[in-house]
Amino acid sequence: MSRGPGWLAQHWLTVASPVALLIGWEVASAVGLLREAFFPRPSTVLVHLRRLVADGTLLGHALPTLSRIGGAFALAAILGVVTGLAMGLWRRLREGLDPVFAVVYPIPSVLFLPFVSFLVPRGETALIVTTAATSFFLIAFTTTEGVRQIDPLVVEAARHYGARGRRLFTAVLLPGALPFIFTGLRLGLGYALIVVVAVEIVSASRGLGALLWLSWQVLKVEDMYATFLVIAALGAVLSYGLAALRARLLPWAQDVAER
Amino acid sequence: MALAVPLGLLALWELLARLAVVSPRYFPPPSRVSTALVDGFTEGDLGGETLVTLTRLALAFALAAVPAVPLGLLMGMVKQVREAVEPYIAVLFPVPKIALLPFLMILLGVGEPAFVLTGAISAFFQITISTLAGVQTMDPRLLDVGRNYGAHGARLFTRVILPAALPAIFTGLRLGLGLALVAIVVVEFIAAKSGLGHLVYRHWQTLSTPQMYGAFALVGALGLLLTRGLRALQTRMLVWQEDPGRL
Repeated sequence: MSRGPGWLAQHWLTVASPVALLIGWEVASAVGLLREAFFPRPSTVLVHLRRLVADGTLLGHALPTLSRIGGAFALAAILGVVTGLAMGLWRRLREGLDPVFAVVYPIPSVLFLPFVSFLVPRGETALIVTTAATSFFLIAFTTTEGVRQIDPLVVEAARHYGARGRRLFTAVLLPGALPFIFTGLRLGLGYALIVVVAVEIVSASRGLGALLWLSWQVLKVEDMYATFLVIAALGAVLSYGLAALRARLLPWAQDVAER
Repeated sequence: MALAVPLGLLALWELLARLAVVSPRYFPPPSRVSTALVDGFTEGDLGGETLVTLTRLALAFALAAVPAVPLGLLMGMVKQVREAVEPYIAVLFPVPKIALLPFLMILLGVGEPAFVLTGAISAFFQITISTLAGVQTMDPRLLDVGRNYGAHGARLFTRVILPAALPAIFTGLRLGLGLALVAIVVVEFIAAKSGLGHLVYRHWQTLSTPQMYGAFALVGALGLLLTRGLRALQTRMLVWQEDPGRL
């Protein structure tokens, strides 16, 4: 990924197309071709973004979102990897849980909010547990697949050399499943962001989703665009940042989702 | 055997709720939920609400698939198109599509077009990306062989490129349909006044929990039916492809 002048000459469209769009948007809004009430000029949005950052509003909404994503992701990762490993290792458990997961997994996480709010205290805990739901299933699925796709020959060989129990697990099964687990974690983190925004729209007064929704309700269109930019940036950091991290940490394995 | 665990869980829930170990007000026994489901279909408007959700889903899916497949193919075959469009997809794909709902409601008003379009956009990116990947990952030897036998232009496209990309396109359509269902139900939960998502929300607010769990289970059944059904269809129709994958 060298981004010298050679890269630019080859891929100039990748840069030119968004730049042209932004300039076109700016001009069209300025001369009234686009209604500024709906399509504020990009420069105006930037001014509003600066103001939201300067007066601390943005930070006050971004921090709760980040801590919810962190909490939900940690919960989903720990439970998902443990469940997935167990399901990968024990056929009976897998066959028993598969149909349950198959029904529950396609249900959008936000719909769990009522059920979760009966189970755990309302407020922060309910938000975090709800956000964790879809990520948990994804991580559990990929981890199960990760254990199952390990070449039985490798396990056989390890057994012949005397590995069993914990040693077989840490030396063979876990490393073998790791690329899948990492893909699951990456997808799970992405889903945590998607769900947290929806959950915050439904039932939070703070958070980026809440800020977006409040800005809509009072028709602060510029603030909506500014908040959207921040959410999009967060999404890009979470998904592309983790993909880059994977390439560093697990250079021997291709990303499973890219196969 | 495969049914033992789910049935056991349901029986356990039934028992715990009957014995009031868990509050039957918040966790009504499954038997009451199924009665509420049957009543909802025979006397209530559960069938109508399901139809509302399915109609929105069908519209959203069509609105997504019709432009997304040609765009993905075009991006795969013409470098300039790919380079011009890729930055937008890269930026918008990881964004929670529900965040677009307020923008669409400002532009189109609070109503069906905004709801359906949110679902369509959710599916659109997935279908485009899968289609593009289908063209990009095809064996280049297939192209060479096709060309050597004199295929080019439309013939090369219909005989070589399209069949090679078809499995990926189908996977994209399947995943896109699932994403559209999620988006539609969430939109209903948040903003619409009808549909299964809205039913879960309304019965939550009124604490009519048997109906709430009934609508909830119906969403799950719908999702299962669509994803499993499409996967079965995929294995039957596209016999030349490899395993369609699990997710």
